[in-house]
Amino acid sequence: MIGRIGRWFDERGKLSKLWQSQMVDYKVPKNLTFPYAFGVMATVAFLIQIISGIFLVMYYQPNIHTAFDSVNYTIMKEIPFMWLIRHIHAAGANFFLAIVYLHIFAGIYYNAYKKPRELTWIVGFFIYFVLLATALSGYLLPWGQLSYWGMVVTTEIPTSIDSAPIIGKLKIGETISVWMKGGYELGQITLGRFFGLHIWLLPLILLGLVGFHFYLIRAHGITSPDGREIDKKKEGVPFHPYMTLKEGVYLMVYLAIFFFFVFFYMKHFLPADNYDPADPFKTPAHIAPEWYLLAFYAIFRSIPNKFLGFVMFSVALLLLLILPFLDFSPLRSTRNRPLFFVMFVVLVISSMALTILGSMSPTPTVAFLGLIFTLTFVSFFISLPIISILELRKYKAEGGSKND
Amino acid sequence: MIKTIFFTVLTLAFFYIVWINNIFAPHEKYEMPPEHRMIAMDYKNAKEGRELFIQNCASCHSVRYDAIYPAQVQANPMLKQLQEKYGKVLPRDVYEAVFMNDLNSMKESYGKIPPDLSTIYLVKGPEYLYNFILEPQKVLPGTAMPPVMTGRPEDTAKIIAYLMSVSEPSPAEKAKRNIMGVVTIGYLIVMGILIWIWRERILKRMGLH
Repeated sequence: MIGRIGRWFDERGKLSKLWQSQMVDYKVPKNLTFPYAFGVMATVAFLIQIISGIFLVMYYQPNIHTAFDSVNYTIMKEIPFMWLIRHIHAAGANFFLAIVYLHIFAGIYYNAYKKPRELTWIVGFFIYFVLLATALSGYLLPWGQLSYWGMVVTTEIPTSIDSAPIIGKLKIGETISVWMKGGYELGQITLGRFFGLHIWLLPLILLGLVGFHFYLIRAHGITSPDGREIDKKKEGVPFHPYMTLKEGVYLMVYLAIFFFFVFFYMKHFLPADNYDPADPFKTPAHIAPEWYLLAFYAIFRSIPNKFLGFVMFSVALLLLLILPFLDFSPLRSTRNRPLFFVMFVVLVISSMALTILGSMSPTPTVAFLGLIFTLTFVSFFISLPIISILELRKYKAEGGSKND
Repeated sequence: MIKTIFFTVLTLAFFYIVWINNIFAPHEKYEMPPEHRMIAMDYKNAKEGRELFIQNCASCHSVRYDAIYPAQVQANPMLKQLQEKYGKVLPRDVYEAVFMNDLNSMKESYGKIPPDLSTIYLVKGPEYLYNFILEPQKVLPGTAMPPVMTGRPEDTAKIIAYLMSVSEPSPAEKAKRNIMGVVTIGYLIVMGILIWIWRERILKRMGLH
């Protein structure tokens, strides 16, 4: 019976044809390594966020008087199993961002941004950017002390434009800040608009961008770890079952780690200070952003001038965006590029160090170290054109053509 | 191989620092004698702690999630009517609007409305609460909190046990959650192993191995 219904559907929907053409006939290099699984893990993390978010929004109340209680009483204590959904959503957000960071670094390591995949990288950058906005707006919703003061600090960032020499007179920053908050103080309007952004607009933009990202990956095929484009007719293994099952195993391990945190270790993902209801008259002792923004926060903080800090912070983001154009070397994948490998290690270590420095209390030593690691962070991007020229010369001397 | 190990160790160390134990971030440490810690961590003391809380703390503090309101609100005849309409735990906006006069008179005598303690255990942790309740002025100079419990460390520990019981799931519930967690993780690991075995077989049959 079920088989007959399935056949009826298949004859009309042509589903098995779609499966055959998209999953089985799609050939990928055989030597894909573990970091290639971060993409599929990020997709699963996104789905988990959407599903758990749909359930959370059934009980959440976007009202500054009742938001805190709807989260901490209704969701956590009253409705059965909603604690689990909230744990999944809170830990899921952190895992999603962690996986996206790993995915970004894997992309840099395997040079997955090179021609013809520049657009894939740029779309990916915007996914990352919108994701940060989603995380920030979602963090406001429980209306605890950290939510409130975190958003106060975030909406103050644009005002640093106002300390610029000439444009500062125009007070653009303050206008943007007021526009973000919907008033001079954080209140019901702020909560309402960030709630709307978090549950509708930003996830929809993300869905569109992720769809485009997928399409681009399919259009150009996936890179291989040794940097060689495969001939899809002769080489390569079918995506299903070779890769799907391999990534399925990785996914199970990932989910096992994820659920370990969900059930047994939520201390970091539901921080203690956020169990305090928001109070506009009480500033908490330590206001630091969430870990995924700490690196940018450290860059911002270690530069004495507020406007220059803002410029540096924007430059760091912009450099990430134009990365495909900075690196024009004919060689692909770090496996073939010893110089690039050294600079990649510098990049990884300086981003990690900046994140950790961002979580420390601001002392002159921390600011000085922050400045040094900001310079090493930027030095990766500055070194890319130089490495590219050196490699291009060596490549030509060895007799390779540039358009390989 | 060396590169893989290097990056794996680096990533794991990074996430250990950022997510689990940030040795670099500023910490505040408070001490608590182990015997009182035992009392505070024991869920069985919560009932006695609740009585102690009503006697000593509830004249000013509310625990709204457990339907305990300050004495002045408790004396207000509106409370019963509202609880019939909204249930025992009143919505915060209703509570603050209806009992505004009572809350404001407390604000006049203490300088601020004594905070609601429904989630205070999760915010401050048992060690801070123990030290603060015993000697408020020493931990937070200038606070309006009177030293009600000074010299009664055991009763203080019982009150903390009560505050814990309001915020944290009961031991039975906790055991249930732990079993759920172990079953979920076990299922995922078994599925992972099964997928791996299946993959090996399929690849052998397809000659892709």
